[in-house]
Amino acid sequence: MKMGYASTIRVPFGPQHPALKEPENFIFEVDGDIVVGVTPRLGYVHRGAEKAFEIRTYVQNIYLAERVCGICSHAHTTCYVQAVEDILGAQVPPRAKYIRTIIAELERLHSHSLWVGIAAHEVGFDTLFMYTWRDREAIMSLLEEISGNRVHYAMNTIGGVRRDITSEGASKIRSTLDAFEKRTKEYAKIMQTERTFLKRAQGVGILKKQDAIDLGAVGPTLRGSGVKNDVRAGDPYAAYGEIPFEVISHEGCDVLCRTIVRCEEMLQSIDMVRFALDHIPTGDLRVKVPPAVSAGEAVSRVEAPRGELMHYAKSNGTTKVERYKIRSPTLANIPALCKTLIGSHIADIPLILAGIDPCFSCMDRMAFIDSKTNERWIWSMEELKRKTVK
Amino acid sequence: MERDNEITQNLQLIFSNKLIEIKNPRMRRIFARVEMGSFKEALPRLISDVKLNHLVTITGTDLGQEIELLYHFTRDGSTVVTVGFKIPKDSPTVKTITDLVPAAILYEREIHEMLGVNFEGHPNLAPLILPEQWPEGIYPLRKDRKFEELREIGSKK
Repeated sequence: MKMGYASTIRVPFGPQHPALKEPENFIFEVDGDIVVGVTPRLGYVHRGAEKAFEIRTYVQNIYLAERVCGICSHAHTTCYVQAVEDILGAQVPPRAKYIRTIIAELERLHSHSLWVGIAAHEVGFDTLFMYTWRDREAIMSLLEEISGNRVHYAMNTIGGVRRDITSEGASKIRSTLDAFEKRTKEYAKIMQTERTFLKRAQGVGILKKQDAIDLGAVGPTLRGSGVKNDVRAGDPYAAYGEIPFEVISHEGCDVLCRTIVRCEEMLQSIDMVRFALDHIPTGDLRVKVPPAVSAGEAVSRVEAPRGELMHYAKSNGTTKVERYKIRSPTLANIPALCKTLIGSHIADIPLILAGIDPCFSCMDRMAFIDSKTNERWIWSMEELKRKTVK
Repeated sequence: MERDNEITQNLQLIFSNKLIEIKNPRMRRIFARVEMGSFKEALPRLISDVKLNHLVTITGTDLGQEIELLYHFTRDGSTVVTVGFKIPKDSPTVKTITDLVPAAILYEREIHEMLGVNFEGHPNLAPLILPEQWPEGIYPLRKDRKFEELREIGSKK
């Protein structure tokens, strides 16, 4: 970055809602209107989850995993129970696998439509924001009818699922999705043709393919940079190996392409839910598993709405886990996000920030928090430059 | 499975007598334990020959006398290859891999803060997650730290 003047200005973003309604702080160093440095401060929603896993039993941990995130709660429980089932060698009944898949795709639908609304809001297109969030409610209501909860569905348990999807429920899902599909297609078209949106999103927040790979980006952020990489296809879990779908990717590397990827993924998800409902096998919902888990280890991966989620579990033969590790997709996307922000205009910051669909709650689960204390960390300019300005 | 076998053979070839244990417990999961110094040395070949092109994360575990570091890689987003080694807890120092794998930058910092592992050559190991006034030398994920104790430290002003 060439700077004509000796000084730059530091502009704080957050910690109150820097983009989404979650706390995180970014300090931007700007030269005129251009961002030349980013200093993120993490840690506003740290709860010490990994340590907390070690002092609870395997059954209690299902509920803890559920609460790592308030949007992709099913992704976290799926990842958790898979890890434990893997060590136990438990054979999950096929019907349970399909139910897990259906809930996961419904979760992706409401998560992506939430994001589309936020993206619209960030560019000042609040009408679209209102529409997408209204339609999202239909999916939330579906999930509530199936599970009894809007967000923490508590569908997963070690060895299977806790609730069935009845044929009545299935027909409700179908009719809701028919209406949702029509609207999603319309919104996808609007976002690709509406000039006010294109002007704000096209060519904004460029993340080159090689940078995305090198910096370890995941999910729609990676796929928006032209990399076809999806855990559901590459490392199938639940019923994904049996359900046909296309891994969406676009070469544009900008916010627009991240938007298109998510819109098209929603259409894929709708088809996947339909296919799963048509082909769901009959049978048991769960197998009984012992409360203690023999010594072993497992790596479990899930394609959460925001990208690759990984859990690592190490057991020691007791009812409590020896070590539990969570890597959420947002943490993986932070280095790529910082790279993307350098060189952008101040006005584009919220959109670019929202562009990775950050979930700070997921990312921050690692350590200890006291909201009254002033925790923070500083990303030095040297480090940042090393990683971002070549 | 063929792919897993190919990766396993490749790892045996690269680490040869430095390979302590290699497991393939199920499809697309490979766990390899190697000797401490051999990992960084072999890393360029893991990237170029075994094509481990994505670092998922790094897990640090306190084993009592030692700390185990597990590097979870994937090849093209498919098979997860975990390469791990132990380092002594009284001198937990290991070379950074950020020069070869830039994606490791935050994962190494997290482990430095949580387990007190020093990554030689890392550009910035300043605290990443814990509060600013967190006392030095208290590593939450070490087994001798109890949850209640950490909660108390965290709530001090």
